[in-house]
Amino acid sequence: MQVNNNIYAPLKARLTEVIEESPLIKTLVLIPEEKFSFNTGQFIELSVDGIGEAPFTPSSSPLVSDRLEVTIMKTGYVTGYMHELKPGAIMGIRGPYGRGYPVESFYGKEVLILGGGCGLAPIRSLLYALENISDKLERVVLCYGSKTPSDCIYKPLFTRLNNTPKFEAHRTVDKADEEWGGNVGVVTTLLEKVKINLRKSLAVVCGPPVMMKFGTLKLVEMGYPDDLIYLSMEKNMSCGLGKCGHCMMGKFFVCKDGPVFTYNEIKDQPDIWN
Amino acid sequence: MRYLSINKEEWDVALERLLSSYTVFATISNGYGLDYEVVTAGNIRDISYDRPKPATPLKTFFLPVRENVTSGKHAERQRIILGIPNCDIKGLGILDEIYLDKDYTDISYRERRETTLLISSDCFDMEKNCHCSSYGIKPYSEDGADLAVIQIDDHIILRVITPKGEEFSSQLTMLKPAENGEILNEIEKYHKAVESLLSSANKALPDFETTGKLVSAAGGKIWEKYSSHCVSCGACTTICPTCSCFLLIDRPGFEKIKQMDACQYPGFERTAGGGDSLFELSERFRNRYLCKYVWKSRKFRSTACTGCGRCIEACLGKISKNELFTELTHASQQ
Repeated sequence: MQVNNNIYAPLKARLTEVIEESPLIKTLVLIPEEKFSFNTGQFIELSVDGIGEAPFTPSSSPLVSDRLEVTIMKTGYVTGYMHELKPGAIMGIRGPYGRGYPVESFYGKEVLILGGGCGLAPIRSLLYALENISDKLERVVLCYGSKTPSDCIYKPLFTRLNNTPKFEAHRTVDKADEEWGGNVGVVTTLLEKVKINLRKSLAVVCGPPVMMKFGTLKLVEMGYPDDLIYLSMEKNMSCGLGKCGHCMMGKFFVCKDGPVFTYNEIKDQPDIWN
Repeated sequence: MRYLSINKEEWDVALERLLSSYTVFATISNGYGLDYEVVTAGNIRDISYDRPKPATPLKTFFLPVRENVTSGKHAERQRIILGIPNCDIKGLGILDEIYLDKDYTDISYRERRETTLLISSDCFDMEKNCHCSSYGIKPYSEDGADLAVIQIDDHIILRVITPKGEEFSSQLTMLKPAENGEILNEIEKYHKAVESLLSSANKALPDFETTGKLVSAAGGKIWEKYSSHCVSCGACTTICPTCSCFLLIDRPGFEKIKQMDACQYPGFERTAGGGDSLFELSERFRNRYLCKYVWKSRKFRSTACTGCGRCIEACLGKISKNELFTELTHASQQ
């Protein structure tokens, strides 16, 4: 969407609700002033007036165009301001940008999703899209790891998925607390516990770079073909338009050519895990 | 290609008349060298023809260092830029691919391109670091510019390149077809002479494709050696006719200021999560060469280095990329 045919001008959106997901993570619920459609996996540039903007993949359903949810971890200057915003605030949205998940190519397949930390935000949007086409899918398996049980966001999502036909969700934590009775260990340890039919399966990986790296290498070791491992890459996507150069990863502008790539497309590019 | 001719005195008169309807910039020598100046009735006779290379790269006419890209005020007077060396004309190719990209057209850039007539000037000489021909670029323009202007004694010769150039030259009624074969032969002689100069000055320099291979294969030590004099000032990217990375800065009212940026500045690729693949100075230094000679040539049709040599002249650390590439060549031959 372009406002006044100007690629740099944001669309205004009203903040209607702020959901506290964890001490460091909030979900902002936004109502754009015009309908705003996106494909799951695409991202937006969200701005705080006069302060700055940053890239986020919406965590809400791509089937809804009059309401947008963005889940934000407080990590620095702009996200610090975003965490201070109250309902009623006006924000700016540019986008949607880039190439999302090619969900039509998932038909007839088992989808294994490997997620970590705040990577669950774009995955939630993907799950909404997959629920909508579940009749065309074989099975969807989510393996998600967080640092501690309290760092896990969207906890009700796991119960809901485990009650949805064809869907199953597994959790692990790096460090357990007294109440935790589940798996302890990095997210790849869950892969030993789920049954996968490799011949029919594809994988999606989204999370912090270190988790993406070891998750991908584990999937390759398990026998997943490089072109059936989908990665959502995190780089400094500043303009979103394939121009400003901040997100260059070898010959790719992550903002325009990605952010979703197959491992096969990017494995020979430099610094993909940084 | 059509050539037109006009007497120099008549050309100066014609140019002066154009000043009422166009803003004209042309290459003029001053005490410090050659650069673009706004042409007035008082300096028309000072315009330099056939000399390489103005200090300022052509990109600054289309990509200002800093501009408000949401204010919507960018309509400008029609412009003529006169005296552009072919290296800078070739540098516009990649900027056009990026900023006129049909998915996301930068309207400020497009308007400036549409309202500007590009008149190139053949280089009849070379400056110290000129090496366009090493990368397959001629020291005279036959495509990309609208017209090329050449001065031979008291004659101004125009090479008509595009329909826009044809339309413009039809307004200048004093222009006549250049039927004097001797003058055209003389132009060719100048071309051959300068090409020979360039070739002999740069015979140790690898061509573009070989440079890409050498840069890709080079180990960390050579980057550490050459970047040890780098102060991350970004002069090389600022002066480069093809570097166009920028930063968007937010201003109240959801306005965006687009400001030139440089991959040589610390934090250029830093993400919110703290990852920064260009944290080390030597990595930033290496990144610029990989970007120019390897990555962009895989992504774009146009070149990301035109061999103008300005980055060598602008470097505060006196780093010469051509010395670096020559050293890489020698190392690869051992």
